[in-house]
Amino acid sequence: MKYAYYISCINESLSMEADTSMNLWTKDLGIELVPLTSGTCCGGSNLDFTSPDQFLAVNGRNIALAEKMGLDMITSCNTCLLGLRHAKHILDTQPEKKEMVNEIIKEEGLEYTGKSEVKHLLWVLIDDYGLDKLAEKITNPLTEYKFAAFYGCHILRPSTLMGGHDDPYRPHTLEDLVRRLGGNVVEFESRNKCCGFHTLLVAEDESIKLSGSAIDEAISAGADFIVTPCPLCHMALDAYQKEALARVQSSGKMRILHLSQIVGLALGYSEKQLGLNKHVVV
Amino acid sequence: MDEKKDIYFKIFRFNPEADTKPFYDDFKISVEKGVTILRAINYIKDHVDSTLSYRFYCQAGICGSCSMRINGVSKLACTTQVWDELPNCKEVDVITIEPMNNFEIIRDMVVEYTPVISKLEKYISWVTPRIKQEDLGKKEHLIPEAEFKVYDAATDCILCGACYSECSMMTSSREYISPLALLKAFRMVKDSRDTRSQDRMKVLNEDHGMWDCTHCYRCVQACVKNIPIMDAIQGVRNEAFLRGMKNSEGYRHAYAFTQDIKSTGRLKESTIAVRTKGIFGSVSMLPFALKMMSRNRMPHFFVKTIPGIKYVKKIFQKLK
Amino acid sequence: MQPYDIIIVGAGGGGMYAAMEALQTNPKLKIAVVSKVYPTRSHTSAAQGGVNAALANRHKDDTIDLHIFDTIKGSDYLADQDAAAILCEMAPYVVREMENLGAPFSRMEDGTIAQRPFGGAQKYRCCYCADRTGHTLLQALFEQCLRQGVKFFSEYYLLSIEHDGDKAKGVVVMNMQTGKIDAMPARSVIIATGGYAKMYWQKSSNAAGSTGDGIAAALRAGLALEDMEFVQFHPTGLRKSGLLISEGARGEGGYLVNNKGERFMKTYAPEKMELGPRDLVSRSIEIEINEGRGFDSDAGQYMHLDLRHLGAKLIKERLPQIRQLAIDFEGVDPIDEPIPIRPTAHYSMGGIDVNNDGHTAIKGIYAVGECSCVSVHGANRLGGNSLLEVLVFGKLAGRHAAQNAPSLTPGAISTAAVEKSVKEIEAYGHHDRTERYGELRDELGKTLGANAGIYRTKKKLEKGIEEIMEIKERFKNVRVNDGSVIFNTNLFQVLELKNMIALAETVARGALAREESRGSHSREDFPVRDDAKWHKHSIFHMNDQGEITLSTKPVTMGKYELQERKY
Repeated sequence: MKYAYYISCINESLSMEADTSMNLWTKDLGIELVPLTSGTCCGGSNLDFTSPDQFLAVNGRNIALAEKMGLDMITSCNTCLLGLRHAKHILDTQPEKKEMVNEIIKEEGLEYTGKSEVKHLLWVLIDDYGLDKLAEKITNPLTEYKFAAFYGCHILRPSTLMGGHDDPYRPHTLEDLVRRLGGNVVEFESRNKCCGFHTLLVAEDESIKLSGSAIDEAISAGADFIVTPCPLCHMALDAYQKEALARVQSSGKMRILHLSQIVGLALGYSEKQLGLNKHVVV
Repeated sequence: MDEKKDIYFKIFRFNPEADTKPFYDDFKISVEKGVTILRAINYIKDHVDSTLSYRFYCQAGICGSCSMRINGVSKLACTTQVWDELPNCKEVDVITIEPMNNFEIIRDMVVEYTPVISKLEKYISWVTPRIKQEDLGKKEHLIPEAEFKVYDAATDCILCGACYSECSMMTSSREYISPLALLKAFRMVKDSRDTRSQDRMKVLNEDHGMWDCTHCYRCVQACVKNIPIMDAIQGVRNEAFLRGMKNSEGYRHAYAFTQDIKSTGRLKESTIAVRTKGIFGSVSMLPFALKMMSRNRMPHFFVKTIPGIKYVKKIFQKLK
Repeated sequence: MQPYDIIIVGAGGGGMYAAMEALQTNPKLKIAVVSKVYPTRSHTSAAQGGVNAALANRHKDDTIDLHIFDTIKGSDYLADQDAAAILCEMAPYVVREMENLGAPFSRMEDGTIAQRPFGGAQKYRCCYCADRTGHTLLQALFEQCLRQGVKFFSEYYLLSIEHDGDKAKGVVVMNMQTGKIDAMPARSVIIATGGYAKMYWQKSSNAAGSTGDGIAAALRAGLALEDMEFVQFHPTGLRKSGLLISEGARGEGGYLVNNKGERFMKTYAPEKMELGPRDLVSRSIEIEINEGRGFDSDAGQYMHLDLRHLGAKLIKERLPQIRQLAIDFEGVDPIDEPIPIRPTAHYSMGGIDVNNDGHTAIKGIYAVGECSCVSVHGANRLGGNSLLEVLVFGKLAGRHAAQNAPSLTPGAISTAAVEKSVKEIEAYGHHDRTERYGELRDELGKTLGANAGIYRTKKKLEKGIEEIMEIKERFKNVRVNDGSVIFNTNLFQVLELKNMIALAETVARGALAREESRGSHSREDFPVRDDAKWHKHSIFHMNDQGEITLSTKPVTMGKYELQERKY
């Protein structure tokens, strides 16, 4: 199984542990990740409105790069997933926009045709690889631990762009994965709620209330970890945890795991190898 | 003969005149397939408990009165089929009915709606034409179909409040503009007949305005009229860019992204905070920076440029 | 408390446009708009098809005169011709003013307001915004009221209209959120509370609150009602729910088809076919069903409205709302299947008797819109003329009230008047009362549907009146089980039922008295129009004993002489 690996900006800089941990075990599963070295930032849900056309061209180019490799794209960041799939949807349904983009990227020898899919690591594990197959590779079932699954908005909504991979109101795929890894899943109303990451800089107070309530709920539910497939959610829940809990008049500690880390743990890698010590909450 | 079965309704009750705190009432009724939630609760009100309180009017999905949370999701009771809700029940065949979120409760599912109107007023949600009073009614503006198509979907909004109820930022702050007010603002800003967009953009640019949307897409997911509300929110932000309204953190934050993609292709994470908040504003970011540094996670100041950057620059040159 | 200059009861199209006009005429006036629902919930929102105006955007040879003629012919010659003329003459102005103020419209190629064909119209003059014209007009009106700072009292219920026999005194209302009952003194009152077709309950397309509250209050206050027997049955209501499928579907080219696959309208309206006037089309469907050419189901008999030949693109662009209604409420996608429909009680031509300024016989009391009878619609209303009526007469009444209110000095509303309502409402809660609201309401709907529906006979009407009187008697014993003062919806429903019963009696009595068939009033025992005996308006009063008395008044004629009405 081979994919064009689209790395999220945050996984190259602030949250490198998400990237390094993913690279550790994907080889074991026979999943080859070919880095998209020429790929740009997806726009981080900001380029969509600074210039809608630039957003289309930038991401059309990103997908065209994968098409040139003859591979589907894989990403481990929700916002990148949404940005790319949003652009893809427009390019696939509005021929004038596709033409506009191809006019420009042809100079680089690229063409957007729409044949490369854009997938999240979680989808690849569940649909392409298969949970049964994954279960066979587990050496360290996570039976001692309780997990709260925090999906993150941009892997669930808008569901019209998510290819039917999960129910936006009653998602279950991440929890299915956690259970297959041997872990216990707690009841967690916040699982499809928002962490507030995208407004952390411009509306910090309101944003940390969102992450604070989620963390607080996980603590009350007796979870040992929150696991999330999005590094931006991870940042909001982990790096801002103290402030967030204080904001909702709560306290305590909740360790936050990247999706790539929970899989790595079950496959036998150590916390240090997976970079758990890099987190703010250890 | 249509299928029929016993369905349980777990309904939120609270009457401040009689109750110290809210509770849930359980009702069991026999329901036929094809019956809507509204018809079911009307049946309960008519035959079981006439004190059950909720709003409803047109029964046809156009007035927006009957919005409430059904199995935790904000919807119109009159267009929601009981049968369609069964897979969504937490307990088998038990449908939960609750008032909308983010509103004060008057009684049961009846919520205090006036904040919606105040927000519509605050953000100048009307057309102020340039036609003088004495000239009104003589000729219509000539509007090309293409312009109408831009805000066509936005005029579908029935102000039901489902988006308001689902909105993440609304749960954090009741002062937040709200998706429906943003949608109306977009509809107004894009209407060439209106003359007050400058004023409107100014208010949208302030605290609790258009920059506070955290892009969670809950509004889009819930909209009973399938209006692409996020397109409208992005639309008013885009309008801020078109008008060069640079004096906000939201603008500067988004601007930083475009600059980075244009210059190196990747984000210069280390300076985004400073570029967004300014030097003084970034002082509050110091604890965060220290945390990152203590874990050896501070991103490099120098960001490697991607191969092919010249082609990326072309995109920014050729498209606006 | 200082009296208001104008209190407008009802915040739909008519009420809000009246408020806007009043403030434009005199910005210093103290105006309040009282409504039992938030303004954008008003039933104007449900109007789908459009608003008629002879703009001549589509058919360049359309004229106001043609519109006037179509309206009068559509009314089966019962409309007052001067009123119909005012309606049509002001149409281009009010539609363009709404457009100028931001109402969105679908557009022609040249950017002007788009127009489509509609029932009973010789030219394409129905101005529309997709299939949600009422909704977009209502939203635009609300936006403009916010702009002008109109004061709304939302969720206030009208209990009574007060006057001293000569001029208005104001209204008594209940704050629905707190249960508090208060007098609101005013120099003038504009009633804009909508129609009463919901009395047919299960067989009506209307909102739950279209219960004729303002009309019943006017009747109880001694004001005259007019033409109450004329209830319009819209031909295409959805089979199961009675909800409306707009005439626009036929305007865009939809076919009505019976179980033989025939477009049966060729028998009844060979020229206009599906776009005959509503009363004619409803009767035709009823006849086809009675003669065995309909379809059967558990939800009753029905006909097919076939849109498949229009194609997916047109349906999605021009009729998206009705498509969604068919899907949501019938489980049918009109792109693939015909929609099951049957006639549904939709509009009430009757209402409070007013002159061409919307003014009643009491100085300072006006009525506007469906609750009024000017009469512009006579025995049958053309589609697209209702939205027009609320705009035209909303403006005229608003203007007239604004000009005249300052010269009126109202008497005080007595505490007794307020006490009367307080005591009445208290009495509903007595434990020894035994009648149930839901039962009485359903029975009222059933007897009206069976005995005062599309086809009426002496026998059925007499039975209907008997059953209505029985329900009226039993109502004296109806119980409001909810004892709370906070948003007591049980109480509001009972008050609405009281109004429906009062008006149902006028409908049935008027129908019995009128021994002819005209417009939407069809008597199987008097199947032709009898101009000699019945070319007049029915007038209704309630005396001090609560009894309904009938009289008549002449129709104002003009240049159009009585003719046979054929389509």
